[in-house]
Amino acid sequence: MIHSLEEIKKNMLIKLDTIENGAELEEWYVSVLGRSGSLTSILRGMAGLSKEERAAMGKSANLVKQELEARFAERKAKVDEYMQEMRFKKEAIDVTEPGKRDVPLGRLHPLTQVYREIRDALVGMGFTTFDGPEIEYDDYNFTKLNLPKDHPARDMQDTFYINENVVLRTHTTPCEARALMTLEPPFRLAIPGRVFRVDEVDASHSPVFMQLEGLVVDKNISFGDLKGTVSAFINAVFGSEVKTRFRPSYFPFTEPSAEVDMSCTICGGKGCRVCKGTGWLEILGCGITNPHELENCGLDPKEWNAFAFGVGVDRVASLKYGISDIRLQYENDARFLKQF
Amino acid sequence: MKLPLKWLKEYVDYNVTNEEFVELLMKRGFETAEVADEMPGIKNVVVCTIKSIIPHPDAKKLRICSVDIGEKLPLQIVTNSQRVFEGAQVPVALCGATLADGMEIRPTSLRGVESFGMFCGGRELGLTDADYPGAGIDEVLVFNEPHINGQRVQEAFDLDSVIFDIELTPNRADCQSIIGMCREAASALGQEFKEPSIREIEGEGSIDELAAVTVENNELCPRYCARVMTDIKIEPSPAWMQKRLRSVGLRPINNIVDITNYVLIEYGHPMHAFDLACVKDGHIVVRNAHEGEKVRTLDGALRDVTDDMLLIADPEKGVGIAGVMGGENSEITNETRTVLFESAVFKGSNIRSTSRKLRHSTDASARFSKGVEPVNAMLALKRAIELVDELGAGKVVGGTIDVCSADISQRVINVDWRHVNKIINLDLTPEKMLQMLGTIGICGTLNGERLKIGVPHFRTDIESGIEADWDIAEEIARLYGYEPIKPTLMRGETFVGKVGPLFAFEDKIKDLLVSLGAYEMYSYNFTSPQDVAALRLDENDERRRNVKILNPFGEEQSLMRTTLISGILKALALNLNKKTGHGRFFEVGNIHIDNEILPEQRKMIGIAYFGEKEDFFTLKGTVETLMERVGIRNVSYAAGGGEYFQPGQKAVVLSDGEVIGEMGAIHPNLLKYFGIPVKAYVAELNFDRIAKLKNERRTYAPIPRYPVVSRDIAIVVDEDVLAADVANTIAHTEANVLIENVELFDVYRGAGIAIGKKSMAYSFTLRAEDHTLSDDEITAAMNAIIDGLSKELGAKLR
Repeated sequence: MIHSLEEIKKNMLIKLDTIENGAELEEWYVSVLGRSGSLTSILRGMAGLSKEERAAMGKSANLVKQELEARFAERKAKVDEYMQEMRFKKEAIDVTEPGKRDVPLGRLHPLTQVYREIRDALVGMGFTTFDGPEIEYDDYNFTKLNLPKDHPARDMQDTFYINENVVLRTHTTPCEARALMTLEPPFRLAIPGRVFRVDEVDASHSPVFMQLEGLVVDKNISFGDLKGTVSAFINAVFGSEVKTRFRPSYFPFTEPSAEVDMSCTICGGKGCRVCKGTGWLEILGCGITNPHELENCGLDPKEWNAFAFGVGVDRVASLKYGISDIRLQYENDARFLKQF
Repeated sequence: MKLPLKWLKEYVDYNVTNEEFVELLMKRGFETAEVADEMPGIKNVVVCTIKSIIPHPDAKKLRICSVDIGEKLPLQIVTNSQRVFEGAQVPVALCGATLADGMEIRPTSLRGVESFGMFCGGRELGLTDADYPGAGIDEVLVFNEPHINGQRVQEAFDLDSVIFDIELTPNRADCQSIIGMCREAASALGQEFKEPSIREIEGEGSIDELAAVTVENNELCPRYCARVMTDIKIEPSPAWMQKRLRSVGLRPINNIVDITNYVLIEYGHPMHAFDLACVKDGHIVVRNAHEGEKVRTLDGALRDVTDDMLLIADPEKGVGIAGVMGGENSEITNETRTVLFESAVFKGSNIRSTSRKLRHSTDASARFSKGVEPVNAMLALKRAIELVDELGAGKVVGGTIDVCSADISQRVINVDWRHVNKIINLDLTPEKMLQMLGTIGICGTLNGERLKIGVPHFRTDIESGIEADWDIAEEIARLYGYEPIKPTLMRGETFVGKVGPLFAFEDKIKDLLVSLGAYEMYSYNFTSPQDVAALRLDENDERRRNVKILNPFGEEQSLMRTTLISGILKALALNLNKKTGHGRFFEVGNIHIDNEILPEQRKMIGIAYFGEKEDFFTLKGTVETLMERVGIRNVSYAAGGGEYFQPGQKAVVLSDGEVIGEMGAIHPNLLKYFGIPVKAYVAELNFDRIAKLKNERRTYAPIPRYPVVSRDIAIVVDEDVLAADVANTIAHTEANVLIENVELFDVYRGAGIAIGKKSMAYSFTLRAEDHTLSDDEITAAMNAIIDGLSKELGAKLR
């Protein structure tokens, strides 16, 4: 019997080494170690043996069983690995094929993107957003801002009128009046919004465009603070390497007033087509709030002062993305919008 | 404002380059738009002497000249001019030269003979007789006086200078004059301003015998100054004056008119010359026009004037519209012998409105609108009289009429110099401030803590009231230079910045729509009556109340939009037309509903889908996602919505029964109107209402501990049973407490289903909070649902 045990082991191990798939492996296992497998039948046949023989035989049979089990596990691991490899080969894909998307990617309008960037830069500097109506009282849009009716500087902003007392706001500055009249100073505001000017539409003019204005109301504010804040703001939006230049200018609602240029972001200040060879780009208007405006809005200019600065979002977007025609911003051609 | 460098040099020592000068002006707040050559466009044109002329062998009209251009070798020029002669000095454009009209000169061969340039006349050089005698004829110009061969023609004509075109801010009306601009330029250059003094001409006789002035409206005419000249000889003004006028873009007319124009440029004050013989009794009356009156102005136009306009009249008729234009009836002509010069101040706002109402703007009206001042009015008149005398244009009559109700005494302001330092963050001594101000003609003294400043008459922009400290601060900052002022960080309270809740909510909505594949669009707020009509809005629809613009840019943009739909459809049409291949767009923007005072402004969300993959339900899916994301409670959709939608495919969107928007397939008629050949689906939601209803608060609920059970059923119902009815019925059965989710996953019509019926397949997810559901419970729940549906809606289990 021992002999046949060895015989079985030898034969079955030879067979085992030729097996290359899971099903055959399973078959092999059943045929040897299964309920009616060859080894099992031998063990069953031990019933007729003497106690001593049974013991010796049982021991040998167990050793054979253990070895067969071990060799089976070894072979199974190999076969499994092989089978997995085969599956991987079958399932291999062309990873350069395009991905699947439920919906194509949408886009935020470039003006929204730029507006958020500017706004968030201001928020980071302690400014809070403030909103006001697009159709505004003449009084807020002009008179309270030190631009009474028939003031020659009203010609600076060609205005759409709804009636004698109501206009499409020509700037976001009427929100300054609203804020000064309603909020408790000190405060710092970021005021974004659409504004309107009677302008023939061309590559650089649009009757509708977007402004973002910063307003600081506090005690002991100086032109130095205005310079520091505006420069920091420009650096936050355009990068720390950008230089700023302040030039005297005139706005009825600020005094002193300044026009601010930044070093050309295209050529770095060397001079190019975008900056018309000057190395500078006009980016923003600002100034110390005119005491008349504060007074008209109920603040004592002896106690409180303020400064403000306003930037054209469309202009910033044009500079940032190199958009040469402002009309594209309001045409909504997907081939334009897709680029941002 | 045109500032010829030659004119500037008369009053200021100029020791910088033009580029440096432009930079210095910029630092003072004066931007230079252009630095133009006196001979614009001319390059490489020089003086030459014609040494010899021989006829062209093959062309009768051509002559071959050998010319000396100051170099070793002569140059060969072929010309068709018969005027040139041997020994003549003429301008020659060399190869590579450019001429006034932009033409470029190249070597050519004329009938086999080479020519290395071209002789020029006034036309090619952009000159007229006023620039150089003889330049007016259309022939080669021959110099009357000797020049060096090879010299640039700019030097030969003494037109080698430049003209600065300076942009002025509206507060500096005083710089709209050579005198004013030179004063600022001198200070910017750090040089003394050599202000010209005017020689007073007394004249002979008395003006009172020839003329009188009555000002009826002092408010509109605070000062009227006049002088009279007799024995006028009308002739062209001298060349120097003509040249100057031309250099600033004015056309010389005759000596008298040129004098008024010259003074306008020099002193910035508009004047007018009347032929006194045409003014009845020599009596000027400054009065409001009578209703229905007409005045024929110098340009020949007969103008209707109204009683709010100021006229210059004689006792019988209008002879001019004050501050705008003189009348034809009193114009200076060749026969004029007696002239009255008017130098007056008219109220700027009145001239502005007159000019606007007449739709006629002149140099004079523009200046009056910006504001002129009474002291300068008298200076200008004196200067004009000096010029009359200098030109010998006539005999000056003694005496000046001066009707003046304006305050012409010098204003004095007291400025807190410490406050000035504080405003601009400087630490200047008061003495330094006074010295700086002195360079632009503002003089003062230190008076304790204050600067006592006498405001010069020409600085009307410097106020006496509260603004005085700021006005002087601005001047000091400008004179000191903005660049060297130290930037500082704000002191005081610290602030925490915030994106306000509505702005943040708008961000969120936009980001969500972008994540769903939509492109954000921006439309103008304008719309047209046609576009509004095409919407076929209900008679009572408030969106018919468009805000109208009084002065629109054409009818196309004459109304403010009351819906985003039109703008969105325009964008769709454009994208279809250009085959851009994208079919999802959205816009968040304001609409306006006309109201009694300020219009009501509402923010709306417009979403549009079109293309093969889109239908009502893809759009609805987006709306649902949006509502879910921002936590709008109890959203429902009911058939209905505007006439611009296709019947049967439109819905209003509600939250707890309140309408928050509408959506649907756009009506084919409207699609056709906008030229859209495919179906389009649009939703318009009220941002403001959604922002109010939104609930973004989240509280944690324990994760369920017991398993879910899924059951599907299909029911057959009548066509007119709505999904909402089914959902409603299910929600009202007793099984509802166990239902975690119900989903309609299929609607089927066709084989096996009777006509007029439909099969709706639902998937239920059931769960109890506190135990695992037993089979009996599940069966009972499903039965309850089926019973309910059968009872309420006549549904049958399929």
